[in-house]
This record gives sequence, C-alpha cells and structure tokens, in this order.
Amino acid sequence: MQTGTKISALAHGLLLGWAFLGGVFQSDPLPYEVQDVSVISAEEFALMTGQSRTPEVREAPAEPEPPAAVETPDVTAEPDPPPARSEPEVAPEPVPEPILEIPPEPVPPEPESAALVPETPRRPQRPSERIAPEPVAPPPPEARPDPVEREEVAPEAQNDSTREAQEATAPEEAATEIVTEAEESAELAPTRSPRPAARPARRPPAPEAPAAPSTEDAVAAALAEALGETRETAPTPTRPAAPSGPPLNAGEKEALRVAVSSCWNVGSLSSEALATTVVVAVSLSPDGKPQTETIRLMSSSGGGDGAAKQAFEAARRAIIRCGAKGFDLPVEKYDHWRDIEMTFNPERMRIK
Amino acid sequence: MKRFLLSVLLGWAIAAHAAMAQDGGPLRIEITEGVIEPMPFAVPDFVPDSPAAGEMAAQIARVIAADLSGTGLFREIPAQAHIGRVSDFSAPVKFADWKAINAQALITGAVSMSGNRVAVRFRVWDVFSGAELGNGLQFAGSADGWRRMAHKVADAVYSRITGEGGYFDSRVVFVSESGPKNDRKKRLAIMDYDGANVQYLTDSASIVLAPRFSPTGDRVLYTSFETGFPRIYVLDVGSVRRRVLETREGTMSFAPRFAPDGQTVVFSLEQGGNTDIYSMDIGSGNMTRLTSAPSIETAPSLSPDGRQIVFESDRSGTPQLYVMPVGGGSATRISFGQGRYGTPVWSPRGDLIAFTKQNKGRFHIGVMRTDGSEERLLTASFLDEGPTWAPNGRVIMFTRESKGAQGRSTLYSVDITGRNLRPVRTPGGASDPSWSPLQD
Repeated sequence: MQTGTKISALAHGLLLGWAFLGGVFQSDPLPYEVQDVSVISAEEFALMTGQSRTPEVREAPAEPEPPAAVETPDVTAEPDPPPARSEPEVAPEPVPEPILEIPPEPVPPEPESAALVPETPRRPQRPSERIAPEPVAPPPPEARPDPVEREEVAPEAQNDSTREAQEATAPEEAATEIVTEAEESAELAPTRSPRPAARPARRPPAPEAPAAPSTEDAVAAALAEALGETRETAPTPTRPAAPSGPPLNAGEKEALRVAVSSCWNVGSLSSEALATTVVVAVSLSPDGKPQTETIRLMSSSGGGDGAAKQAFEAARRAIIRCGAKGFDLPVEKYDHWRDIEMTFNPERMRIK
Repeated sequence: MKRFLLSVLLGWAIAAHAAMAQDGGPLRIEITEGVIEPMPFAVPDFVPDSPAAGEMAAQIARVIAADLSGTGLFREIPAQAHIGRVSDFSAPVKFADWKAINAQALITGAVSMSGNRVAVRFRVWDVFSGAELGNGLQFAGSADGWRRMAHKVADAVYSRITGEGGYFDSRVVFVSESGPKNDRKKRLAIMDYDGANVQYLTDSASIVLAPRFSPTGDRVLYTSFETGFPRIYVLDVGSVRRRVLETREGTMSFAPRFAPDGQTVVFSLEQGGNTDIYSMDIGSGNMTRLTSAPSIETAPSLSPDGRQIVFESDRSGTPQLYVMPVGGGSATRISFGQGRYGTPVWSPRGDLIAFTKQNKGRFHIGVMRTDGSEERLLTASFLDEGPTWAPNGRVIMFTRESKGAQGRSTLYSVDITGRNLRPVRTPGGASDPSWSPLQD
C-alpha cells in the first residue's frame, strides 16, 4: 500500500469517527412537559370516581339493626273518614285522544308540483286499526267495506249508462304493521303543494246494453247473497259436474292462499295462541264453498291445548268467512282441491 | 353422456312420484300472513224475565259491549244494524241474521230479578261456525252489584274468544288531584277499572304518592308526607284503617311495593344522603338491606314468581334498569338505550317489564323483555310516567300530564302492542294508578 493511500484512509477514518462521535447526526430532543405524579390505591381511585363505576354489591348484606324499640302498630290512630259510598261523583266525559284521529292522507306527489320540503327516505306509516299484508288507503266515507273496490253508479244515470246501479265499495283501510304513538311522525302536514287534479276521462260506452234486472230481482239476489243462500231457481252454469284434471298450478294455489289470508284475523288471539301453528283440514263442495262440518283440527304445535283451540277457531272462521261465496278454484281440477289441509302459521304475524 | 341421461331420467322419476303423491293426498297450503283487526261482535239487550228487570238487562248488555270494545280487540255492531232479535234466551239462534251483518261473535243473555237478587245468564256464539264457545254460565248477586256481574260476563267472553284472562272485574287505586299545579291537593281514590264507582280513601290534608295494591287487592301501600317526611302506610281497603310501616328514625322511606306473597314489602330508604333498597316483613317489621351502593337505588318491583327484583339505579351515571335476585346480590343491567329509564314494573305474566323512558325531551311508556331485549316504546308525550299492568298483562295504565301552568294529569291506557291508546275517565285530575288483581 502506498503512503498516500494510507494517509487518505487514516484521514477518512478520523473524519468519520469525528462525525459519529461528535454528534453531527444527532438532533436535539423534542421538548416535553414534566408533571409530578403520585401513586394512589384502588380504593382511593374508586372514591374519587364516585358513581362512574358500578360498585360491587355485597353477596350477603349485613343484617340491619332492628329499630330500638319495635312499637306496636298504632291501630288506634284516627282513621280517615270513611269514603262517601252513597253516590259516586259524576265523572266528566274523557277528553278524546287527539292523536288517535286519522290524519288526512297526504296528497300523493304530482310530477308537476313543487317540492317544499325534501322527502325523507322512509316515510312513517299511518296508524290503522287493521293490519294486513298490503297497505290500503282510507276508503271514501260513502263507500261500503268490501274486498273489491267499485265506484258508485247512481240510479238516475242508469238510463244513460249501460252499467247497473251499484253502491260504492272499497277495501277497509289497512297498514302493514302496527304504528305506536312513539313511532308516529311529528310532522303530519303534507310536504308538497297540492294541485288540482285533472278531469277524469269519460268512459267509452259499452257496445251492447245488457238487460237490466228488475228491482225485485236485485233486492232478492242481494238478500240471498247476504244470507249465504243458494238460489235454486238460478243454478250456476259455470259449475258443471266435477271432472278431474291436472293439478293446481302455483298461481291457483297462491290465489287460494291469499283468499284465506284476507279473513284470517289474529288480532284477538292470546300471545300463546299467536305462537301456535295449527293444521286444519276442510272439504270443499264443487262450487268452492267449504263444508263447515268437515273443518277439523289435524295437528298443532307450539302451544297448549287451549291455545290450539283458540288458533283453530280463528282458522275455522277464516275458512268459513272467505269461503262463503266459494273460493275461486278451477272446477275442472275439483279432484285436486276437494280436500285441503291448511297450515296456519302465525310466526310472521307476531312481529307486526 | 350416459351419466347425463341417467340423471335426467332419475329427476323425471322423482318429479313424477311427487306429483302422484300429491294426487293421492289432500291439497296442502300454508297461510303465514293474516290480518289484525278488531273482531265484530253483537250484544243484543239481554232478555229480562220481568218488566222490572228490563232496564238492568239493557244496562248490563251496554257494560259488556263497552268492556269488549274498550280493549281494541273487538268492535261492536250497533243495535241499529241488527237484523235479528233475541226475545227468548233458550230459543235457537238464527245465525243467518247475524252473518248478514258480519257479526263474528254473538253474546246472548237473560236477566232474572227476585227482590234484591239478580241472576245473569249468558252464552257466547261463533256465528260463522254456528257453534257455542264454551257453555252457558250464570252469575248471581245483589242488584247493587250489577256492574260487577256485567264485568264478569265480559271477562268470560273475552277469555273464551282470546284464550287469555280478562281484566274487567278489577279496580284501580290512584291519586286524585285538584287545584293548580303550585297548590295541588292530592288524595287516594279507588274506582272500577273503567272509571265507575269512585270512592276516596284519604282526605287531602297531606300529600300522598304512589299507591300500590296488594296481590289480593285488599290492602294498599302508599307514601304520605303527613309528618313532613315521606313514610309508608298500609291501608285496609275494606275498613279504610291504616298503619305506618316503621323503618328507622331520621330516614325517608318511599316507593313501596308488595312482594307476590303479600307479606313482604320492598321499598327505598334514604339515610345519610344514600338511597338503597330494603325489604320488610310486614308482620315482624324485620328489615333486610338488598343493595349497598353509593348511588341511588329505587323503584323496586318483584317478578311474579318472587325470585327477582327489577329496580332503577344511577350507578352507571344515568338512571338505568337492573335486575337482581330477591335476596340482593349481583345486579345485571338490562337497559342500554339512549335516555333515562325509570319506574320499572314486572308484568303479571312475567314475560315483560314496563318502564318510563325520558329521551330528547319526551317521555315514553315502553316494554322490554326481562333480559332487556325487544324494547318497544308505546307512547310519546310531554310527560308520561308510572305504568301499571292490567291483571292479564295485556294492557298498561299510566299517568299523562299536559304542558303548562294549567297542565292536568290524566290516566291513560294502552295495549302492549302500542294500539288502543285511550284516556280513562276520572273525576278531575288523576295520577299514579295501580291496577288491582281480578276480584273474587
């Protein structure tokens, strides 16, 4: 090694040593505050924090000292004057609960109307006495409750119209779930400015005018229908003798299920009956009407005998009520729906 | 390819077998959706056996109809809509007349009168099936007790249709209030559950609070400020005699409630600025301390089996609900929602706990499972508090106070589903209701 190289190496070594040991690459420490602390015990800490922690409750609390002298209850103390038993005071009429009044149905939003308040993503439901799978708006005041909605046709318009006179009917108002007072919206005012509705289009006249039935026939038919009677003088031509055919398709089964559902009222059932599933068998006549005497309880689960009895009675009412006019079933498939087993499972109704 | 054809054939065979099996048996459908609506019913005037019983027969039918309609589970079809008439209690019912007006249940009855004795007979019918629900039943008593007999008939009808006990033949003890808010006079009063037959148990000389019925309905616990300090009294409803529950000198005792055995009372006792829960044997006067915490523990209520106590405590910083064994010991917090919880009351069925909740400036009456799950708020107003359960655990009565200097306290009832919120008629203001068990 040459002398120059040795000198260079020595000089570099010295330089590097000075740089590391002399603090060239070290920075000043960050400033920090210094605070005095003292150590305390857990008991002292619990006392300082007071009620912020749940104190332990003694498993066996100490027996409190009995009163110094247990006095005999003062039975001779003067009793209050006995209540007046002659006539109760006449209570005033209770103030009606204002919140129970059905608020006016908010005007449905029209495309051309101006939004005054931005709508919330999920509007609260209306409170309703009736809870059903599908919500139904309040019916017009003059409408008679009926599963089928029909508009009124006045008798005086009968001469000019081809339609029979009929009452206005509408389904009963319903909501899909129970709305409590605590869940009701505080703002019940409509959020949009209502606009006058457009004039409804006039219906085109029918091509042929069917013969209008006489008033006597209409009254007799309505009475017979209301009383659940079958008019022997007018046999139903669309219900021939029962041939067999292919099984019911999914749509036909669904229609039957929906028909029974609309009459299955579980509102008056006990909690235990609402936890009871019953299987009910019924035989139908060819016109789709249930034969009442054939309705029987096949099995039940989830509740005792009493609950099963209540659940069965509710199911029986549903079958009889909604089958009073005959279920809408294809007569050519009568062999397939002559005997039906319906399982009434109220599990989803419990959480309404 | 051969394997594919084999699987297709196998699938076809299974489908065909299933179809054939369906052909052989009845059609099966499952109903999972129904409706919840009041059941229409009809109560034609009961048939009197003499002209003298005519007015009472009509009144009994009206009370039964009011009881059932008041539950919200039933809807009366008014007499004006009736097609059929019941003039003979023993004659067959013409169900077609009642089907035509869509009455699903029919209650028929008769009233006979002999001197001061009255007998009420009745039957309940399922109109659409034409079957009688249960058997005919008769209640007899003095003419003065005709309302009770009507309530008993309504209880039987309710029970036969719903499958659970009724609550009509019961009473409510409450604090009757009069005068403005800054000078309100309070006294204990008792009435039928529907507001009839109001009687006063104390005068208005001192403030009284929180009356609570005993499990047998013959005694009432309440807190009185007669001596300037709150003290607990036991009052015999029949004789209107009372006695004080002696606790400790210089302490304040309040929020009493009977245990299911009727012999033990749980209450709060304030001593030296700390409030804890104690129990006392009424007969011996022996007291047992159940909680020992620096926080405020109050409003104890026992479960119907007498094994647990739900109470209110602010040990976590805000008032919340806790459950502990009846003898004291480790307590479990069950309320975790926003706001403050208080005045918990265990349902007579044992499945729910009713409570008062204050949140965001509003008061609510709510219910939750005994483990704190499934909390459900039933009401919302300026001030709702003090829930009490009907004997069947289906209805809750509580106090609602309106806003302002002229604000007035009123009793309300609500179904545990949150439906059928309605005021209870009382003479003047009323607060702190306590529902009795069914009367014998």
